[in-house]
Amino acid sequence: MRVLVVEDEHRLAENVARSLEETAGYAVDVSSDGEDGLFMAETNPYDVILLDLMLPRLPGLDVLRRLRQQKIQTPVLVLTARDEKESIVELLNAGADDYLTKPFDLGELLARTKALIRRGKGQPTPTLTIGDLEINTVNRTVHRSGRTVQLTAMEYRVLEYLAHKPRAVVSKTELLEHLYDYNWEKFSNVIEVYISGLRRKLNEGPSPQLIHTLRGQGYILQE
Amino acid sequence: MKTRSIRRRLIWTVIVSQAALAIGLVFTGVFYTRRQLLATLDSHLQARAMNIVALVRYPENNGKTLFFEKTLLPLGSDSQHADLFEIRADDGSIVARSSNPPLVNTSANHRFWEFSYDGVPYRAIHLRDVPVLDPEEGTPSAPSRLDVIYACPLVQMHQQIWAAGVYIALASALLLCATVCLALWGLRRNLAPLQQLAACAAEVSAHKWEFQPPAEAGSVAELAPLTEAMQTMVGRLRQSFMQEREFLGNAAHELKTPVAILKSTIQSLLQKQRTPAEYQAGLAQSLEDLERLEKLLRWMLRLARAEQWAYGTLDRQLEAIDINATCQLAIEAIRGLASAHNTTIRFHQNAATVMSRADPEDLELIWVNLLENAVRYSPDGSSVELTVGANGNNRARVTVSDAGIGISPEELPLVFKRFHRADPSRTRETGGFGLGLAIAKALVEAYGGSISAESKLGRGTRMIVELPLSDKVPD
Repeated sequence: MRVLVVEDEHRLAENVARSLEETAGYAVDVSSDGEDGLFMAETNPYDVILLDLMLPRLPGLDVLRRLRQQKIQTPVLVLTARDEKESIVELLNAGADDYLTKPFDLGELLARTKALIRRGKGQPTPTLTIGDLEINTVNRTVHRSGRTVQLTAMEYRVLEYLAHKPRAVVSKTELLEHLYDYNWEKFSNVIEVYISGLRRKLNEGPSPQLIHTLRGQGYILQE
Repeated sequence: MKTRSIRRRLIWTVIVSQAALAIGLVFTGVFYTRRQLLATLDSHLQARAMNIVALVRYPENNGKTLFFEKTLLPLGSDSQHADLFEIRADDGSIVARSSNPPLVNTSANHRFWEFSYDGVPYRAIHLRDVPVLDPEEGTPSAPSRLDVIYACPLVQMHQQIWAAGVYIALASALLLCATVCLALWGLRRNLAPLQQLAACAAEVSAHKWEFQPPAEAGSVAELAPLTEAMQTMVGRLRQSFMQEREFLGNAAHELKTPVAILKSTIQSLLQKQRTPAEYQAGLAQSLEDLERLEKLLRWMLRLARAEQWAYGTLDRQLEAIDINATCQLAIEAIRGLASAHNTTIRFHQNAATVMSRADPEDLELIWVNLLENAVRYSPDGSSVELTVGANGNNRARVTVSDAGIGISPEELPLVFKRFHRADPSRTRETGGFGLGLAIAKALVEAYGGSISAESKLGRGTRMIVELPLSDKVPD
């Protein structure tokens, strides 16, 4: 999953980004002003955007409105220091999906971010199930037929992304775009390495193959 | 405190004045009636007296004694109390008398007098030297002159006077009641706009600032000034309340951000096991954030205190100090920042000492805040001018000019607003809170001075502070 944090308080943005990377395993991009944030959101496929309201150059509310005008449907979680009813109503009406008032709890921020990603991809619960494969996104554990599967951080990221879009074709480019932040060099062959690792770990024993390759198109996770 | 009611007082005034009037009326009425009745009675008495004189006849057969025709004596005016009379001849012999002790004129020289007989008040007339009517020829021996006293009971007259008094008193009482009722009704009617106004004013609260006085209250000449004053007052209160609320909102917002940073730093530190070096870095960061928070609090308190002084709620004993000296201290304080920005501060000191009554620390803070802004918004390598002078109008004039980015005309009136920032990101980097100019303004105003800004976008800004000069140079 890839998250954009638009927040002008560097320290706060850093803490949020670090927390998302460390505890959720997300790729995080940080932008410190409205215009840059809008550009990033327009040019990269994010799974969720965390947006501060008081931003230099372009206010958060305008960023939000412009995103929605361009039909960019990425879920937006607004971080605001104001909690007056009117401004919250205004926010939600402008297209925000959720909001958190400062000072917020990092745990709550994580939970809300995960929930927004889940809802954005049509998943009802934090536990994703594909056949006998079970992925718990809260504590990031994977089970197959009751057996715990030990994955590396990157393998988990790939699997989590695929599991959020079961039975859909996911291209290598899409995986690259959603698993790495802006500063990362993107080589498509690393994806193949992770996929083969995943296949090996998930298929210990007689269980059927879950990750299928569609040549020239990408991967598909299904029973 | 005991409340007093205008209505009750007015009603009492009406009652008391009306009652006095009624009493006066009763007395005058009674007096006048009595006078009139007495005049009537007196002429009646005279007529009666003359009547009985007519009954005195010379005796026939040449007798010496006068004869009184008792049978022709007319009936008295009062059926219960008989009239009294006494006729004497000039030789002192009694010609005729009602059955009573002798009547004596107690008033000596007056024709009329009053007396009481048998518990009944009487009024009497005394006619002297009345000639006997139609003296017959040849009776020279008989006395020809009479002394007549005739008295009528006053009971009836007294009753009439009493009746007149009661009548007037009753009429007055009725009139009094009518007046009081009218006054009550009139007062209620005329005081209604006042009550409406009060009801209207009672509805004003922190949540509802609309004060629309009832049209009736505005049309009453006596209430118009009150209504106007209330409208102005509500308007001012509303404005200052809104300002306070805005300040509170801004303050909360400004406080929340550093708290959010601090909280997230500590939470992310606790999210997993970390190396001592990471903990150390995290703690150092937290401390830094905390210091920022502390600084913000200090500035907010400083502002609150300055504003308290500006509104005159605190009384301070102040000594006259030299403005030049405080400027020098401010320049010392800002030197670090100025050299970091490679900015020169030029001080144009006034040749003479410029004295003003103020706390030197406050003045220093004002100059520091102005210089800090000037340095921050100036390009590196430029210079900032600090000039101290007098404006010739018994006021010291201190200006801080820079050749910085300037302030747009739209933004110029806002620069002294609390928490106003030209560009949030820019000042946040430099650690400003948007309170410096607000504090400077509050302090300057606390000392009875004024502060203003002139600016041209891209050319620079000039801040002008004027403070009242102290007339005395200290020893």
